[in-house]
Amino acid sequence: MTQATRISTGTSRRRLLGTALALPAVMLGRTAQGQAGGGLGTAESPISIRMLANSSYSNLWQSAMVPEFNKHFPHIKVQIDGVPYNEQLAKTMLDLTGAKPTYDFYTVDDPWVPQVAQTGHLLDLKKDAAAWTAADFDWNDFNSAPLAASEWKGGQFGVPVRSNMLLMFYNRTHFSKAGLPAPTPKLTWTEFRAQMPKLVQNLGGSGPANAWAISTYFTRDTLTPTIWQAILNAHGGELVDGNGKPIFANDVGQLALQTHIDLLQWAPPGAKAHGFTESLQAFRQGQTAVMFQWGSVFRGTAVDTGSTTLKTEEVGIQVMPVGSARAGTHRGIWNGCVSAKTPNQRAAWAFWQWLSSRQGEAFASDVVGSFPARKSTLASNPASAWLKPVFTTLQEAYEVAAAGRMWRPRSAKSDQAQQILADETARAFSGDVKVAEALDSASRKIARLRL
Amino acid sequence: MSTTAARRRPSAYRRRNAFLRQLRIWSGVATCVLFLLPIAWMVLTSLKQQRDIFTTPPTLFFTPTLETYINYLFNYDLPARMLNTVIVAGGASFISIVVGSMAGYALARIKLRGATTIGVIILLSRGVPPIALAVPMFLVARAMGLLDHHITLILAYCTFLIPYVMWLMRGFFKALPDELEEAAKIDGCSRFGAFFRIIVPISLPGLLSTLIFSIILAWEELLFALVLTNRAASTVPVVISGIAGDTVNGANWGALTAVGTMTVIPVVIFALLVQKWLIQGLADGATKG
Amino acid sequence: MSTTVLGTRTGTRRIPSRRVSRLTDLAARWGFVTPAAILLIATLAYPIGYTLYISFAAINLGTFSPDEWVGWDNYLTVFEDDRFWDSLWVTFVYLVFALPLQMFLGFLSAFLINADWKGRGVVRAAFIIPMVIAPVIAGGIWRMLLDPLWGIANYLLGIVGLGPIEWLADPFWAMFTIILIDTWRWTPFITLIASAALLSLPRDVFEAAAIDGANWWTTLWRVAMPLLVPVIAATFVVRWLGAVKMFDIALAATHGGPGRATSVVNLFIYEEAFRSLKFAESAAMSLIVLVITMVLTAIFLRGTRMLEERN
Repeated sequence: MTQATRISTGTSRRRLLGTALALPAVMLGRTAQGQAGGGLGTAESPISIRMLANSSYSNLWQSAMVPEFNKHFPHIKVQIDGVPYNEQLAKTMLDLTGAKPTYDFYTVDDPWVPQVAQTGHLLDLKKDAAAWTAADFDWNDFNSAPLAASEWKGGQFGVPVRSNMLLMFYNRTHFSKAGLPAPTPKLTWTEFRAQMPKLVQNLGGSGPANAWAISTYFTRDTLTPTIWQAILNAHGGELVDGNGKPIFANDVGQLALQTHIDLLQWAPPGAKAHGFTESLQAFRQGQTAVMFQWGSVFRGTAVDTGSTTLKTEEVGIQVMPVGSARAGTHRGIWNGCVSAKTPNQRAAWAFWQWLSSRQGEAFASDVVGSFPARKSTLASNPASAWLKPVFTTLQEAYEVAAAGRMWRPRSAKSDQAQQILADETARAFSGDVKVAEALDSASRKIARLRL
Repeated sequence: MSTTAARRRPSAYRRRNAFLRQLRIWSGVATCVLFLLPIAWMVLTSLKQQRDIFTTPPTLFFTPTLETYINYLFNYDLPARMLNTVIVAGGASFISIVVGSMAGYALARIKLRGATTIGVIILLSRGVPPIALAVPMFLVARAMGLLDHHITLILAYCTFLIPYVMWLMRGFFKALPDELEEAAKIDGCSRFGAFFRIIVPISLPGLLSTLIFSIILAWEELLFALVLTNRAASTVPVVISGIAGDTVNGANWGALTAVGTMTVIPVVIFALLVQKWLIQGLADGATKG
Repeated sequence: MSTTVLGTRTGTRRIPSRRVSRLTDLAARWGFVTPAAILLIATLAYPIGYTLYISFAAINLGTFSPDEWVGWDNYLTVFEDDRFWDSLWVTFVYLVFALPLQMFLGFLSAFLINADWKGRGVVRAAFIIPMVIAPVIAGGIWRMLLDPLWGIANYLLGIVGLGPIEWLADPFWAMFTIILIDTWRWTPFITLIASAALLSLPRDVFEAAAIDGANWWTTLWRVAMPLLVPVIAATFVVRWLGAVKMFDIALAATHGGPGRATSVVNLFIYEEAFRSLKFAESAAMSLIVLVITMVLTAIFLRGTRMLEERN
């Protein structure tokens, strides 16, 4: 329902600003054809390309994005197959390493890029696809943090097509009821810690607490360590050094993990078992004042009345609190990658190029609610008013992430490291072991991986 | 069960028996209701808007909406995947029930040197975690160009259904009276004739229950479906897993429970239809046993 | 038994056809097992062989093929990993409680819901629903019911003055929850099979027992039980083989947490294989699990045979 309305309003709006923006892409479509990498198709012989994407957005992309793309490239037929997140990496690897992959292009999550690129079967877009790249496609316009997500060993194996950052959501009502000022991006961890006890309150005025300070990931999950990693980075620490050696089993690491664990004191009952969905629901129900969560949930949290009880003006968004070095965040970019094995490289790149161009980003953020990575898009005035504070925050988060290298280890074994972190720190959360012991054990195991 | 016998007894005894019978019926119903409570919650949730699902305290009264059903019925090409699921579950269970019950019969009632060993090996093959099998199966299917075909999933499902069917049916066949085949021989039946004309009808309750069990196992299988299909043969559990693992907007529990409810309906209807034969089988079994 | 019958019968026939008929009969007898054996060898031989092979190799993720023979390295890595041992222990605890509980409840409810009345078909059909629900939905629904914040379980407990119980966040209760969900999901399987077993019990045996004046306990223990043994044993073995592989419920309900409290071995293998792409190590783990499962299954089968022969 909400999806359907989203799509229809989007297309009508597109038609208005369509022609002007579409020109460069149309010109691109006319340039050199019939060389290696396949063409862009003609009316007589259209090209069919197939994408393996995450099922969180594959349907929406197929129904909303592909028709829009086809306005510019009418002879490229795009089919998008969705895979659940947990199995997507394995499925991508299995397909890509075959002699004749089923898919021409893929979406690859932030920590997976090194692993997938390592196979040698991805196209280096800056090098191999340069000839098919439009003259006005400005690589330098991308923020460095999201663009770096698809860099590996000097190659550019993808473009950011659906950017996401770990951010701090807050509920203004809770802060004002507790007699606290609404947070600003300058909010430090010390200040926030002092505020949290007051944010555990009864919103009606008296009675047992029915609102808590914080909801975020606490359960045993690979995304849970990103929270304390953001705190670690905010304090100037890092997970691994330039050589992939773990350097988090120290005071800063312990401080960060302990801070994350301490949040439980001011979190709703049962929060220890909460992950993505539960923390999100608690905030959407107005039960927590603050949520550390991925930015992409903003629309469903503050805008879509079907999924949230909160009003748009109630919800604030900003980077996570400032530590001793800087504010915190964590990067989670979906990258558009092209198989080096497909004969249809050019058509596949045309799709990613369109989607990551200024007009593609504007369309995507407005219609399907995914976030842009280009500085120019973020500086522009978005079509929907609710996107404005989000754009400002994203720009800030990208800069913070670039300064503090706030992403998962860049290694082909990144996911293995993350799994170990999740596993070992979960024991600290459950109280089985002390923080220091959990970190030591994780550090030992990650060192053995030789990232 | 023993009503005919009870009729010959004094009335006090009969009253006690009648009471026990009522007690048994109603505690059976109560157990069933208890087991269905979470299901009721699922159906209830499927009628809620997303914002009404996670409320404190949990709400029983809300404005029901069929929005999710309508939305997801068309959005996730659910009908096509439902059809795939029916084809795959039906095909795999049919093959398994035929092949598996024959093997089970051999184990239970035919003296055959080496057959027991084979049977035990077949059963032990179930000890391999399916996770280990998924990737090599993918490699085989790809090499044969069979990825994303129904037959691939059907065969993959047979690998775990046949051992189960075989072993369960062995148990049922073993419990039958010994003289059955003898009678069949006298009637001039071949071995296969005896199996299909005498043993199968008399074991109908067991066969049907095993069939239902097989269908359910194939119906909800996820791992092989994920790895071996892309779109053309993709099944409902893959869709469900996708909705549950929505990393962008958060799992939509309205949708999950709606799809969950929709997937339950065909199986329950099938089970209801089968009941008739089950009772039929009972009657046959009672007269011949 | 049946072969002796056969021997006497063929003995009455004319001599020349005897060998032919014995051969046809042998073929017919093998005809019962062969289809299953061929089908399973065709589909399983390569995957199992492959698993065995890569458990001794290093996988090159660029080609997804084994490129180096490493001997027992993968096994040593696994043996050194305390997470693996923890997960075996967790699996053991889960099995020890879940299996007997499900067997007992399954047969009890089968007895109850098969009382002869006109609603029993509906009850029996409804009883299978928990099995049909996809594990991820089942896990999620139970999470909803048990969550201290919005779950109805603690809300109801609170009304009678109990709790709140941290169902998913406390190691003890998390294991309890996993067993609870698994029991809820799989007891109907036992019930389904046990119902069929009860239905196929010959009626006249009970009538004879009743006429002899046997009370219900004697009837159950002396008359019904011996007839039920093969089915009970088969149900147990099938349920056991299913339960060993459980991971979806743990994944959906607790993610294996808190700590490692509910990280069953198949969940660990799944994570290592599909998240960390450590296919060689997970193949090694799979084979270790296979061996353990085989040994225990063999013991159960021996037990089955002893029970069957005793009767």
